[in-house]
Amino acid sequence: MFEEASEVFDNMFKSSFPFTFIVFIPAVLILVSPLPAEASHEFTVYRMQQYDLQGQPYGTRNAILNTEARTVEAEVLSRRCVIMRLADFSYDKYQKALRQSAGAVVIILPRNMSAMPQDIVQQFMELEPEMLATETIVPVYFAMEDDELLSIYTQTLTSSSSQGSLSAAEVLLHTATANGFQMVTSGAQSKAVSDWAITSLEGRLAGVGGEDLPTIVVVAHYDSFGVAPWLSYGADSNGSGVSMLLELARLFSKLYTYKRTHAAYNLLFFLSGGGKFNYQGTKRWLEDNLDHTVMCLKAAFVLCLDTLGNGDSLHLHVSKPPKEGTPQYSLLKELEAVVASQYPEVKFSMVHKKINLADDMLAWEHERFGIRRLPAFTLSHLPSHRLAQRSSIMDVRPHVDVKKLSRNTKLVAEALARVVYNLTEKGAPGDLQIFTEQMQVQDEQLSAVVDWLTAQPRAAQLVDKDSTVVSTLEYHLGRYLKDVKRHYVKADKRDPEFVFYDQLKQTMNAYRVKPAIFDLLLAVCIAAYLGMVYLAIQNFGVLYSVVRRITQPKAKAH
Amino acid sequence: MTLFHFGNCFALAYFPYFITYKCSGLSEYNAFWRCVQAGATYLFVQLCKMLFLATFFPTWEGGVGAYDFVGEFMKATVDLADLLGLHLVMSRNAGKGEYKIMVAAMGWATAELVMSRCLPLWVGARGIEFDWKYIQMSFDSNISLVHYIATASVVWMFTRYDLPKSFRLPVTVLLALCVYKAFLMELFVHVFLLGSWTVLLVKAVLTGAISLCSLFLFVTLVHSN
Repeated sequence: MFEEASEVFDNMFKSSFPFTFIVFIPAVLILVSPLPAEASHEFTVYRMQQYDLQGQPYGTRNAILNTEARTVEAEVLSRRCVIMRLADFSYDKYQKALRQSAGAVVIILPRNMSAMPQDIVQQFMELEPEMLATETIVPVYFAMEDDELLSIYTQTLTSSSSQGSLSAAEVLLHTATANGFQMVTSGAQSKAVSDWAITSLEGRLAGVGGEDLPTIVVVAHYDSFGVAPWLSYGADSNGSGVSMLLELARLFSKLYTYKRTHAAYNLLFFLSGGGKFNYQGTKRWLEDNLDHTVMCLKAAFVLCLDTLGNGDSLHLHVSKPPKEGTPQYSLLKELEAVVASQYPEVKFSMVHKKINLADDMLAWEHERFGIRRLPAFTLSHLPSHRLAQRSSIMDVRPHVDVKKLSRNTKLVAEALARVVYNLTEKGAPGDLQIFTEQMQVQDEQLSAVVDWLTAQPRAAQLVDKDSTVVSTLEYHLGRYLKDVKRHYVKADKRDPEFVFYDQLKQTMNAYRVKPAIFDLLLAVCIAAYLGMVYLAIQNFGVLYSVVRRITQPKAKAH
Repeated sequence: MTLFHFGNCFALAYFPYFITYKCSGLSEYNAFWRCVQAGATYLFVQLCKMLFLATFFPTWEGGVGAYDFVGEFMKATVDLADLLGLHLVMSRNAGKGEYKIMVAAMGWATAELVMSRCLPLWVGARGIEFDWKYIQMSFDSNISLVHYIATASVVWMFTRYDLPKSFRLPVTVLLALCVYKAFLMELFVHVFLLGSWTVLLVKAVLTGAISLCSLFLFVTLVHSN
């Protein structure tokens, strides 16, 4: 047959030239075409944080992965992708995977976080900073669970946990029926993002009467933090602070529109970015405005709002206890008075913590102002800055209780008003409520702002100067305040304070694969089948004569 | 899922054709070029069928689950062109009945193998993802070979002038079965919701039955004189 084939090809070549090319070109094209891939499942994965802060690297260093999937129970984990579910997650298993030099770790999170039992959520929250602090060269990804991913997980679990305990025959049978999965990410290796600008926003309300009025600054940082940037929604920390600041801006701008209620204090509202990365926004704002704005307008005090959306206690964190006679001291007193007379269920206390410059990260935002010798404090329902709730992906919308947020907002507003209008000196009683009826704190407004803030991740690496978060906040501030300005922070070129990396969200493909031994098994079966076919065709004559003998008697009988 | 898997599927699909060509004695008759011509006729007939279907049949706009029985039946009727094509090939080849049948069937089936199965195998079986459908596709090509041999022999019998009256009916029935076999298979799948391996089994059984019947008729016809 091959001689005939070569004859045909000879004829083809001898005939007109272009036709031969037409025959060969498609063949060549097909041979060199890239392989299109069809995955059995494609899903989005979110990478763990990767950043450098003051030269110190944090988080995972790698983004690409192309390895086979296993679960923790398998014996051999090296160079495999370890899949874990949140419900079975524990730090030992994570450490075990890393120690055995796994290729990657994928943690599957349930779609509905609030349905998880509280202790698992709490445990994971506490593990997040530890995971970030551990030196991780392998990529760590988080994925949201769906049915297909769950089925991939259960299949991998059954094949991983049965690996070591089977006889050779069972293993052979297993390979024919089981499915392995190859996990592949489609992106490139992660690299540092250059020229990332962190945006901060400020707006002011001018007081009545002259140039030399004291200024009260209200600050809240709007970014969020968690073990995975794309999953950090930061509802309580610091979505609650931002919505409280916007509500205070609204209330005081309403008061300041009327001549009778226009007070003799300037109010400056500042929404800072990069708050979770050691308050970069505030730091640069202070450095740039050193000679004007804050310093020359006498700052009465700076009130930072951080995590106020829940809880029944309020703590005023200070780095130096306020001296008597200062406006700082009067705010402290007013807060105590308002709590005592109007909100007895709230436990209020002052927490004194000295600024420790030797620490990697500053504790609260007021410490930035404290370093510049400005009187400042932070109000929060958390007693300590080390609590995991401030930087967790579990901090989602259900963590904010709008009633408590509204109560806290009213509390702060009343106390601020008493300071600004000097009410205690004028003899107003402790339970005088200013913010009622049309000046009421609007719960729907607070709730809407928190809903909007938690609808998207607000990690500092994801919010650049063109982002909708920044422009919407700018718009909001512009509705109530004057002179709304943007302020940008870019890392220094030679000695960057912060470095962000990209490739934080990827598409991962899970391909069903069979082990190599399966191919050999299949080849043996096919060879056996082809042998049978060969025999059948060779002995076709036998069938023919059988049929002939069956039909012959009918003919012979005629 | 690798080149090895592609090799497996290709061997499974192509080897029976090779064996049939060798063992049926066609190589002694220098039939290679004639088989290629039969394959070219296959291409031409498929092209005409596609043009006809595209021009005269409206696109099915029903729901996903519904099945347009009448429409698919009409489309299957267009497959009568296959029979015309086979008849054309056989009439152009001089020689004994068996030679004509084998040349036409081999050429036709090989053309179908190359056109409709080689490309999916090359593109799909080489990828990382494993799927059983490539093995099934290769088995299907084996079944097609038997089917085309049976069809060609039935067409040859139909066009014989010395066909006895009593044979007319069975031959016509078998001819209709050959043409509408694909339609019947889709009907079965739709009504009984069969799995892919079961479909293959049913197809093999059906083709086996048709080819056995046609073999009986052929032997009776050839040896009744």
